[in-house]
Amino acid sequence: MSSELNSQHFDIDDSVDVQEFYHSKGWTDGFPIVPPTPTAVQACLNWALMPAHQIIGFEPVRERTINAEKLAINAVMAGCLPMHFPAVVAAWMAMLKEEFLLHGATASTGGCAILVILNGTIRQEIGARSDFNVLGSADRATSVIGRAIRLTLINILKVSPGAIDRSTLGHPGKISYCISEDEENSGWSSLAESRDIPKDASAVTVLAAGAPRQIMNEWTTKPEEILDTYAAEMRANMRNYSIWAGNYVVIMPPQHREHMKVAGWGRQEIANYLFEKARIKRSEWSSVGKGSVVRDKADIEYCALPSPDHLLLIAAGGPAGGFGAIIPPWLGTKSQAVTLAIGSCVGCDPSEEN
Amino acid sequence: MNLNVTILEPAPRLKSLKGKTVGLISNGKEGTAGFFAHVDRLLRERYQVSKVILRTKSNYSAPAEDEIIDEARRWDLAISGLGD
Repeated sequence: MSSELNSQHFDIDDSVDVQEFYHSKGWTDGFPIVPPTPTAVQACLNWALMPAHQIIGFEPVRERTINAEKLAINAVMAGCLPMHFPAVVAAWMAMLKEEFLLHGATASTGGCAILVILNGTIRQEIGARSDFNVLGSADRATSVIGRAIRLTLINILKVSPGAIDRSTLGHPGKISYCISEDEENSGWSSLAESRDIPKDASAVTVLAAGAPRQIMNEWTTKPEEILDTYAAEMRANMRNYSIWAGNYVVIMPPQHREHMKVAGWGRQEIANYLFEKARIKRSEWSSVGKGSVVRDKADIEYCALPSPDHLLLIAAGGPAGGFGAIIPPWLGTKSQAVTLAIGSCVGCDPSEEN
Repeated sequence: MNLNVTILEPAPRLKSLKGKTVGLISNGKEGTAGFFAHVDRLLRERYQVSKVILRTKSNYSAPAEDEIIDEARRWDLAISGLGD
């Protein structure tokens, strides 16, 4: 497949000059970029079977049409190979769903990043790892896909610090925030399957998310006690950051999963337990310096999860260590996680055809 | 691919606020109550604005609801701001 690229072209011979030119234009995240040559951009489009002008979606607040060519340019800049590009496209389609609230998530003082979770066979195809250092630079694939999300936001929607991005602090996930689930060793169905994606399909889930909050419990084998530690961290987030219920991510490493497996606890049992335990009363704000906004609602109970189904449980992490994490939502249910199959298409719904 | 682009002209600038109706669109955060109450007072006392209308969005990170935008068409001036 070939199609005409429409973006402006710059001829720069020296590789160092390329970097300085892109930095001077404000088109980077501060790191070096891969020059988006027409050949490399076209290769991404070819892999995804997309013409350059294909519309991926529309961002209604900035009134920007997102097309495949612009995504491909930024994906190449981020270091993506063609095989990484479909995940970037699917993530953008998910981010452009109304319930994700993309403009708010990228402009808010709250400083969230966009977490991308990969499921399905694409993980093996692109070499995404789910074990050691899974929340850091675990592998090339997740690093560049996550970075592509940030560069596209910067260059297509002007989500750069001080422009549209008004984050007070932000967090390191805003450089790259992509992980893949350890489906083969989880003992339960994948996150995507639990969110109605067919078993054989690859998928992305996106969430406007805060930074990971790590927990540790290596001193029990009881599922209830292990989950009490996760629930405590969720409650701490409710007290210290935001009390509103939403999609919480729980990342559970093999060491904890083994104890769940032995006890016969699966995805549903874990979600049900955390739904019951991750609750605080508004009066608890008084213990963290927020007593002024308790008012007459001290006895009202708030739950971290609107329902057990709102938990995004992910199997991931290195083989040893009782270290897990919760990743809190940015703005409760006002920005919701979205899961889409990779290869899905805006406007491809048969019900929308004439 | 053909895109239809509509160029919108900005509303005429007001020469004075005296006797005008000013709408305030609050994002609804905790700090907005005191902030916009002060803006309201300044508009009336310092600029002789005749009417100040306060409307609050239901989601502080989303655009204002259509009802607020429709109502704003009847105002002489709209101020949208954060209360952080």
